Amino acid sequence: MSDNRFSPGLGEGEQESRGSDVRLTLPARPENVAVVRHVLGAFAEALQLPDPLIEDMRLAVTEACTNVVRHAYSDGEPGPAEILIRPEGDSLLVVVTDKGRGLGPSADSTGPGLGLPLIAALSHSFEIEQVPDNGARLRMSFRRGSELESV
Amino acid sequence: MTAGPQSSGEPQTTVSIVAGPLVGPVLRRVVGMLAARADLPLDRLDDAVLVADLIAARAPAHVSGSRVDVALEPGARSLSLKVGPLRPGGGQALIIDAAVPGVGNVIEQLADELSVSPEDSGEYLHVRLAYAATTA
Repeated sequence: MSDNRFSPGLGEGEQESRGSDVRLTLPARPENVAVVRHVLGAFAEALQLPDPLIEDMRLAVTEACTNVVRHAYSDGEPGPAEILIRPEGDSLLVVVTDKGRGLGPSADSTGPGLGLPLIAALSHSFEIEQVPDNGARLRMSFRRGSELESV
Repeated sequence: MTAGPQSSGEPQTTVSIVAGPLVGPVLRRVVGMLAARADLPLDRLDDAVLVADLIAARAPAHVSGSRVDVALEPGARSLSLKVGPLRPGGGQALIIDAAVPGVGNVIEQLADELSVSPEDSGEYLHVRLAYAATTA
C-alpha cells in the first residue's frame, strides 16, 4: 500500500501527504457510511472541534457518502468510496471520491434530492467535479473559526 | 449487523493515516466497527481493539514512509489486518515491540494468525483474529 493508491481519485492538491490527514477506502455499501462517520468523529475529537461543527460535518459527509452508495455504481459489486479528511489552516477539508458513473442524472432517482443543497448549507464551501477517468469528486470545506491546533 | 466476508470483487477496506496522534483514535474505531460487523463476540472485539491500539502505538516507528497503512478484511467471525508497507525488518520489530512487561507479547497471544511477508513495496504484517465457537 503506497500513497499512490489514492492518486486516481484525488485531485492534484490532495495526493501529497500533509499534516495529519486520514484516508479511507471502503466498498460503497450502506453500512460503511457509519464507519466514515465514526472516523470523522475520532478526527474531530482529536482536533477538539466544537460540537456544532462536528454535527454539521457528520451530516454533510453522510449525505456525500450516501450519494456514492446510492448513485455511483450500477447494480452488482459496489466500487470504492475514497474519503480524505485533512485540516487545512482554519478549515477542515473532506473529499469524497468514487470511480462510478460520474455526474449526471441517474436512472434510480426521480430528480435532484436534498443531499447537495444540504451539503451546500452545512459546509463553508463545496465543489463537485467529474474525475477524468471515471467517477466524481466532492470537496467540502468546513471552517472552524480559528486556527486548528496542529497535531 | 452482520455483513460477512467481503466478496472477492469488492474493493478492499483500507485506512491510511499520517503517523502521529490520530493513528490510534482512527484505527481503533475502524477496527472496532469492522470487528463488530464480522460478528466477533465482545471479548474478541475487545482483543481486536487492543491489537489495533498496539499497532497504532508501535507501527509508526517501523513504517517505510510517513503513514501507517492498514488493509482490513472482515470475514465470517474473523477480521484480518495487513499493516504496511514497513521498512525491512519492521514486521518482526513491530511484533517484538508489542511485548508488554509482565504480560508478554500481546499481539502474539491474541492473534490466531500472525505472519510477516515481504512484497515489492516493503514488508507487511498480517494479523488475523477469529472466533471459533466450541461445541459441547
